[in-house]
Amino acid sequence: MKRRRDRNAAIVLHTVLIAGLAIMIAPFVWMVLSSFKGEGEVRRTPPTWLPADPTLANYRELFERLDFPLYFTNSVIVAVLVTVGNLLICSATGYALAKLRFLGRRALFVLVLGNLMVPPMATFVPQFVLVSNLGLVNTFAGLVLPNLALAVNVFLMRQFILSIPDDLLESARVDGAGEWRIYWRIVLPLTGPALATVGILTFLGSWNNFLWPLVVATTEDKYTLPVALALYSVGQNQTQYGLLLAGSVTIILPILVIFAVLQRHFVRGIATTGLK
Amino acid sequence: MRTWARPTAVLAVVAAVALSGCGRDSGDNGTDDAAQPISEGKASGEITVWAMGTEGEKLAAFAADFMKENPDATVKVTPIPWDGAHDKIATAIAGGQTPDLSLIGTTWMGEFARTGGLDQLPTDLVKEGDFFPGAWDTAVVDGKAYGVPWYVETRLFYVNKDVAAKAGVTAPPKTWEELTAAISAFKQKGGATWGVSLQPGGTGSWQTVMPFVWQNGGEVTNADAFSFDSPQVSDALGYYESFFDAGLAPKDLPQGQLEPDFVKGSIGAFISGPWHIGILEGQGGAGKYDVWHMPSRKAATSFVGGGDLAVFKDAKNRDGAWKFVSWLSQPQTQVKWYQATSDLPAVKAGWDDPALTGDPMLAAFGDQLSDAKSPPAIGTWDQVAAAFDAEIERLVKTDETAADAAKAIQQKAATIGTGI
Amino acid sequence: MRLRRSAVGWSFALPFAALFAVFLVGPVLASLAMSFTDIRSADVRSPLAVTFLGFDNYVRLFQDEQFVKAAGNTLVVVLLGLPLTVVLGMAAALGLNSGLVRFRAIFRVGYYLPVVTSIVAISVVWRFLLQPDTGLLNSVLGLVGIEGPNWLANTSTALPAVIMMIVWRGIGFQMVIFLAGLQAIPGELYEAARIDGASRWAQFWHVTVPSLRPTLLFVTVIGSIGLLQVFEEPFVMTRGGPLGSTTTVAYSVYSQFSFGNYGYASAMSYVLFLAVVLLSILWFRLLRSDEVG
Repeated sequence: MKRRRDRNAAIVLHTVLIAGLAIMIAPFVWMVLSSFKGEGEVRRTPPTWLPADPTLANYRELFERLDFPLYFTNSVIVAVLVTVGNLLICSATGYALAKLRFLGRRALFVLVLGNLMVPPMATFVPQFVLVSNLGLVNTFAGLVLPNLALAVNVFLMRQFILSIPDDLLESARVDGAGEWRIYWRIVLPLTGPALATVGILTFLGSWNNFLWPLVVATTEDKYTLPVALALYSVGQNQTQYGLLLAGSVTIILPILVIFAVLQRHFVRGIATTGLK
Repeated sequence: MRTWARPTAVLAVVAAVALSGCGRDSGDNGTDDAAQPISEGKASGEITVWAMGTEGEKLAAFAADFMKENPDATVKVTPIPWDGAHDKIATAIAGGQTPDLSLIGTTWMGEFARTGGLDQLPTDLVKEGDFFPGAWDTAVVDGKAYGVPWYVETRLFYVNKDVAAKAGVTAPPKTWEELTAAISAFKQKGGATWGVSLQPGGTGSWQTVMPFVWQNGGEVTNADAFSFDSPQVSDALGYYESFFDAGLAPKDLPQGQLEPDFVKGSIGAFISGPWHIGILEGQGGAGKYDVWHMPSRKAATSFVGGGDLAVFKDAKNRDGAWKFVSWLSQPQTQVKWYQATSDLPAVKAGWDDPALTGDPMLAAFGDQLSDAKSPPAIGTWDQVAAAFDAEIERLVKTDETAADAAKAIQQKAATIGTGI
Repeated sequence: MRLRRSAVGWSFALPFAALFAVFLVGPVLASLAMSFTDIRSADVRSPLAVTFLGFDNYVRLFQDEQFVKAAGNTLVVVLLGLPLTVVLGMAAALGLNSGLVRFRAIFRVGYYLPVVTSIVAISVVWRFLLQPDTGLLNSVLGLVGIEGPNWLANTSTALPAVIMMIVWRGIGFQMVIFLAGLQAIPGELYEAARIDGASRWAQFWHVTVPSLRPTLLFVTVIGSIGLLQVFEEPFVMTRGGPLGSTTTVAYSVYSQFSFGNYGYASAMSYVLFLAVVLLSILWFRLLRSDEVG
């Protein structure tokens, strides 16, 4: 009896979830399929799902006109530096805010919270003027530094680390471990999944960032992928949809792979912090 | 209130010092000093250039000839996307991190010149009379030139031949009355669902509307003050609105629908620039259309757009940059540039070349260019234009009258100011 | 002793504090200062020459009908977007966590896909989907006999269409947070409830919901901050139109910046900042529990 009810519930649930999934991914399916269509077919009305005449022309054109390895490498360098930096810096700060008592802790936390709430556009111009006065325009440092210590990551890390039981840390202290040792040996291992989460979110933000790299990179050799793609996909008076779609696919793919691989940790990271 | 004033004043100073780069020469205001000449002889050193879109992509290879003529000079082109180009240039000027020269959208000249970020055009570098007057004006701010037009575009009517033939319209209309008659004939007899497609507001619709204003003797400004509340402007707006009110023009045509509908004849005509030649070709429209000049009222004016070249105050190689600009403005270079990019020459002599005279479609654009205008280069034009676009949308889509729209534009523009 | 403790604390926080002070707090203060002046892009090379306006920019904001309209639109975005993303995200998480579902990873990745995508890229697709005659959405509506509107060109449907896309992009993030929250609930709690003979519904109301309170607070706060600052969706889909019907506050901030009105745009940012702060405080008051804050 119970079994059958579960079975029916499972069928209903799967139906609903699959319908939801269809809605969520339909735009992507259409995007991927359309990236193999010629320019004429992309614009055809009514639109087609399957490419009538599949072609790699969009990708070929994209890779011919774009120094793809260069921009890809730049994007990876920036995203990896930003991600690693944030993981180290923000987890340490998160630990301090969550578990240590020190002068100015509250003030720092309020500043972090406050910064979450300032619209990014407000600081854009002063930030650029600052970076140019530091002589960092068109350098990786200029691309990376302003995003190396993001308030939102400190906030997330603090929330995760708060839920680590104090007893655990206390017993280590009794054993004579210093705070750095505790952070390195106990806190970081327990926050592994949390680090995966913060890492993915940070990588994503950096990977998709457009305006900052556009402004900081003054020569092509420092362009990241989104900046480079914007060069060729959007004309002044006309959009080449086929190219734009192919470009979108190339930019989404690496993120998708990373997320698919790490998704298990990603979800666990948001919840489990030492609650084993 | 008073307790607030001090800390904020202090903050303002702190910010100001931070912004000014700890005492970088902050007094230079480009509009004060006179144009400086450049050195004689060939260009030398590295010349860094920013350019958007196709121009950015093609200019690097194109500059090889210049480097052949000036063996000591290297031109380094960085292509930048149109998306965000304005913000990139604005912040670069703010941070003193500009290249030597850049392609600049014609409507941005007023703003950037007033930042003091642009160098004045050196005396005797080029001759004003060589350029189309409407294009030249885009680079003139407060009576001084801050660059030169590089390439131009202007707007004409694209007309579906079949529709026109069925409607019995054999010659381009000469007047507003004839235009209205032709467009309604497209719908009544020509089999078109819409006689014409005109921008119903939205970004850049001023470029389609302003020609009618100019045709009617209206102007954006009159002696430094906005003059949108004149009868010339409101009559022109009323004329523009009449196409929508009479059901001759669609109020919300979906994106991407214009070209296919035009090619199959359900839209009889539309106003656009030369790039549509290529787009229509790509959609099977080659040979199916004609282009018409603008009709006349007091004049037969169209809009002139395109791109200007300007050298920055912070340029490291100012002389080299201007020499490159001068080279790009030579008629034969302009013709070659046209062959490389389809960008239309801003220099009149460029149009005498067989490469352009041989194409009747292009010749029509060339003719129209001698009667084409752009708005004056005021620092706030983009903002005024946005207000203008919003009022056009209201005029077309709500029951706002043309007179009220003109009044509203005038009032908003006055609030925004000319940025002087 | 207290000094030593502080030194240890700061040894952890210093790298962050230094970078944060230079690259974020500094610019934030600079833009706050700008908001009390008439600084425009033309002044950035001689910023000392600007006029100090006091609160004029702030006063002007509330007389600016475009800003008032943008504030109204933003409110609609929050009022519709927040419950929709939270409820749908939570529903998806509950479904996936029920133990009845196979291939959970596929659903998880699929539902999260919209979050990871560059919005500029995906907006092209959405504009196609929302086409009046040929778009996917209206063809589906046509099947059930509804004639869909020209979504993005119509003043009454453009904002709902934009919100639709916001919700589509927001569900995945909410779902993942809720999934995490659900997995953190100790199994013993359910065990105990079952022993007490609690039905599934009772378990949901008395175990799941209370345990999810910190999660709910988190997603509500993060969600409101995101929605109040919504900029990209209207920017890429409608440029704020038609007739300003999709202009949000953050979009107005952006357009004022593009127009070079740095002072006015900064003032707008700080009004938005205040709204975010107030709403967050409200949520903390309403949803507070000991685990968070």
